[in-house]
Amino acid sequence: MSGLPHSSLERQRRRAAWLFLLPMLIVLAGVAGWPLFRTVFFSFTDATLATLDGFQGVGLDNYLWLMRDPVWWRAVWNTLVFTVVSVGIETALGLGIALILNAHLPGRGLLRAAVLIPWAIPTVVSAQMWGWMFHDLYGVVNAILMGLGLIAEPRAWTADPDLALPVVIAVDVWKSTPFMALLILAALQMLPRDLYEAARVDGVHPVKVFFRITLPLIRPALMVAVLFRTLDALRVFDLMYVLTGNSRSTMSMSVYARQYLIDFQDVGYGSAAATLLVLVLAVATVLAVTLGRVRVDAGR
Amino acid sequence: MAGVTLRGVRKSFGRIEVIHGVDLEVADGEFVAFVGPSGCGKSTLLRLIAGLEEPSGGDLSIGGQRVNDRPPAARGIAMVFQSYALYPHMTAYDNMAFGLTLSRTDKGTIAERVRAAARLLQIEDLLDRKPRDLSGGQRQRVAIGRAIVREPQVFLFDEPLSNLDAGLRVQMRLEIAKLKADLRATMIYVTHDQVEAMTLADRIVVLNAGRVEQVGTPLELYHRPRNRFVAGFIGSPAMNFLDVVSEGRADGSVRVWLPGGVPLDIAVDGAAPRAGTPLTLGVRPEHVGLADGGAGLVATILAVERLGGETHCHAALEDGQRLLVRLDGDRPVSAGERLRLNLRGETAHLFGPDGQRL
Repeated sequence: MSGLPHSSLERQRRRAAWLFLLPMLIVLAGVAGWPLFRTVFFSFTDATLATLDGFQGVGLDNYLWLMRDPVWWRAVWNTLVFTVVSVGIETALGLGIALILNAHLPGRGLLRAAVLIPWAIPTVVSAQMWGWMFHDLYGVVNAILMGLGLIAEPRAWTADPDLALPVVIAVDVWKSTPFMALLILAALQMLPRDLYEAARVDGVHPVKVFFRITLPLIRPALMVAVLFRTLDALRVFDLMYVLTGNSRSTMSMSVYARQYLIDFQDVGYGSAAATLLVLVLAVATVLAVTLGRVRVDAGR
Repeated sequence: MAGVTLRGVRKSFGRIEVIHGVDLEVADGEFVAFVGPSGCGKSTLLRLIAGLEEPSGGDLSIGGQRVNDRPPAARGIAMVFQSYALYPHMTAYDNMAFGLTLSRTDKGTIAERVRAAARLLQIEDLLDRKPRDLSGGQRQRVAIGRAIVREPQVFLFDEPLSNLDAGLRVQMRLEIAKLKADLRATMIYVTHDQVEAMTLADRIVVLNAGRVEQVGTPLELYHRPRNRFVAGFIGSPAMNFLDVVSEGRADGSVRVWLPGGVPLDIAVDGAAPRAGTPLTLGVRPEHVGLADGGAGLVATILAVERLGGETHCHAALEDGQRLLVRLDGDRPVSAGERLRLNLRGETAHLFGPDGQRL
């Protein structure tokens, strides 16, 4: 800051700016700040749903219990596997679909709209729909696979501990790939055409053009898309809850936290889990942003 | 090095034909400029030679080899794009070296070629910079450098200076002229700026609506335009056109009557038009003189534009036809004044009803 006194016009502007921001700040504090503060606060208490007014501070006890609970660690592991695998597949598939949509195909507009449909359906609805399709007795997936002779007898897709997580991942890929594809397509459409003509004159092989020109140029947008999807996937709840309930084989951190908060009414312990989830999200964001930037710079 | 030959080259986009059969011979080491108004097909013609568009008909050869079916990289060409088309994520050095790296040219050779091109273009200090840290003129040099390191037989330039400001454009024009002398390569240069074409080119190809209107040296086009279009396109300020009527032929020349009853005899090559045929008289603003007195064409000045070195007078003849007269910078003239003009047959051009030169 300079030592010069602010002019009255400058002061007036600042006041106006704060005045405009105030309603937003109040709303944010009310709907985001306060609940977050309450959650963090409860995580250091023994509060239950029934005793929200009478509780005692327990220090870090909730966190220590959490650290010792294998079910929590299973939930962390499930969430990480789900995130890495589903975001990985979605990125690869989304990139492929975006490249196809970016080519000058007839009926491209229609195709683009069709691709978006899975993204437009509310997750609870599509999860329920897939739940029926994967049903062990009446599901269409079993019927098709048996009809094709690929499996001999019906599988319990969402109940089998080995199959449940892959099924959840598959449904997430079906639902979220369009989001990836659309973000990447937007980046692709920003690329100037003459760069590709220059590459043709230079005689660069199309595969090299993709890896040496297209990919580096869409990397910033790609990083944002991956970051968005990663944060989304780390706090996944609805898919697991609708498809597999509280099953441990698929339980995510969010499902774990909800189970303790609501089913077991242990607000203190559940809040501790929820707070850890926020911490994991924060660390992932910082990592992604910093690592992402480093990689972008190294590529240049 | 190699020449470029076009035989009946056509190009259609869908049902619309934009190049209607172009025949052209560019000699080895020649600098040829394509000029024409926007939409005339000059860029399309260049892109056909580059291989970025496929011809719908006709033959294209470079260095005596038919290249219709060859991809751009196998044609021995290099192209400089209007927007430079530099890879934004690579340094100037990498931009220039990229094509060579991928063709597995040995590293020492690449470095040598890039340094040599950079020296020629005076961008040796800028090789580590990304395009976004370069000015427009510097980017243009890198783009030209990328073309040079390919050591092509033919250089193709697509309006390379049109994104630069006026001062830089003049400077780069001189540099391209120097490059032409240094490299002695065949160069084809697309521009809508006829001054660039006149100053740089050995020969100019004037295009209009997908057809070649005339091919010739800059002075040929200036002194003997083949038709009204070329006459109007080449030269700045543009040629004046007056409606006149043929009086008939005498001694290899045609006599026409100017407004106000002034006769003018103009030498022509072709068959004489019948008396009474409506013709167009073309005369450049710099060829309209002031008469010392006596008989002459009388014009009233409508507006005066002073450029310092010269003065442009917009004038109207007695019958209302407009005429631009270019006079000395300090000539004391003002709007409303009447001028007595003197046209000379040797510097006037006569065009028939079909727009062709007589």
